[in-house]
Amino acid sequence: MKAAFDPVTLATPFFIVAIVLEIVLARLGRARAAYEAKDTAVSLLMGLGSTVAGVLTAGAVFAATLWAHQHRLFDIPMTAAWAWVAIFFLEDLTYYWFHRLSHERRFWWASHVNHHSSQHYNLSTALRQTWTGGVAGTWLLWLPLAFLGFPPAMIAIEKGISLVYQFWIHTETIRRLPAPIEAVFNTPSHHRVHHARNPRYLDKNYAGILIIWDRLFGTFEPERDDEPCRYGIVKNLGDFNVLRAAFHEWIGIGADLLRVRSPREALGYLFGPPGWSPDGSRQTSAMIKARWRARMQEKAAKPAEADPAAASETV
Amino acid sequence: MSWAFLLQTLASAAAIAILVGFTAWARISRAPPKLDAAGALRVLADEFPDASPATPWIAADGAGAVARSGDEALMIFRLGDGFVARAAPWARVAASPVVAGRLTVRLDDPGAPRIRLLTGDGASPFGEGAAS
Repeated sequence: MKAAFDPVTLATPFFIVAIVLEIVLARLGRARAAYEAKDTAVSLLMGLGSTVAGVLTAGAVFAATLWAHQHRLFDIPMTAAWAWVAIFFLEDLTYYWFHRLSHERRFWWASHVNHHSSQHYNLSTALRQTWTGGVAGTWLLWLPLAFLGFPPAMIAIEKGISLVYQFWIHTETIRRLPAPIEAVFNTPSHHRVHHARNPRYLDKNYAGILIIWDRLFGTFEPERDDEPCRYGIVKNLGDFNVLRAAFHEWIGIGADLLRVRSPREALGYLFGPPGWSPDGSRQTSAMIKARWRARMQEKAAKPAEADPAAASETV
Repeated sequence: MSWAFLLQTLASAAAIAILVGFTAWARISRAPPKLDAAGALRVLADEFPDASPATPWIAADGAGAVARSGDEALMIFRLGDGFVARAAPWARVAASPVVAGRLTVRLDDPGAPRIRLLTGDGASPFGEGAAS
């Protein structure tokens, strides 16, 4: 569904110029940005494929949004300033929950994982977008906005603004912004944490534009100078095949469903957290974090064991 | 699909080709150094922090390694300027064939269905009599 005013289309030349600039600055040693040609190719092809896939499902999404708006609770005028302020916050809140769902439940992770499948973090990574989001149906989460009465075009524009905003935060070139900005907005620093696979950083910072939602719902994690981000997914992909990036988790779900022995297992494989398995032989984020915490506690306890005097001092 | 969309898609594809070519030309990324035992153990420690890997076998081109940790084989291999890691039952890895000079390990993993590591002499490093 595209509005006559489409922020993403308007911003596309800026995306290209910004990527070129980041590459040039990195080449000149003036910016920190790791670009690998094949990795960049996958990111950009995912972006192109996402546009094509979006067109294929756009009709259904538009029809559903229009239907919801026809059954709206209120008439919200597109010309009112308060309406734009309201949709800014409501759309961003919707994005937070969409994004959280996309990480915490495997069915939706399957369509989102490709965005995290690069071991690099640069502006091209921002364009590594899903091909299967339309099929996964996450767009349903935005329908309540249309039910409330926000015009479909207004929702589409706000979604576009959010997507454009999230482009520039995919960079290592910008370290940290002034504290008031870091406190309120999603920034490169916060989003680097989101793309990291360090146990400490897993499943954190789901924000779109405002980081306040993560602070509010307990998923905020600041970037630490003593723990650099290691990018990618828990099990990084074995090659630069764009089809693998797009579909590997769906194939994994299919293979698991062929082996299920009960409806509970089927539900677990589909809607459990990524890494769920009936016998616990795989690792979910929560399990990885628990083992990491145990390691940290063990590490912290070791000096005390070695030196009881030191231990008594610290108690 | 309209002609305008088709044109836009083709133009985007051309822009991608140019950008990727530009990235390759810029040569920002550097392949990591060839693995030795110490380097492999460092990567393995990052990837498998709970494991206690034995001395790793290093692929002939230094682009991968396999180390035994209990009943598991911990594997790493170079991809671009980084590494990818997987674990599999040791017995399966030890029994994996060498195809065209590469130890070829098949995995039930759509993200990395096959790992291929160069052997020096074309024989399995974990075959009969080999150190494990």
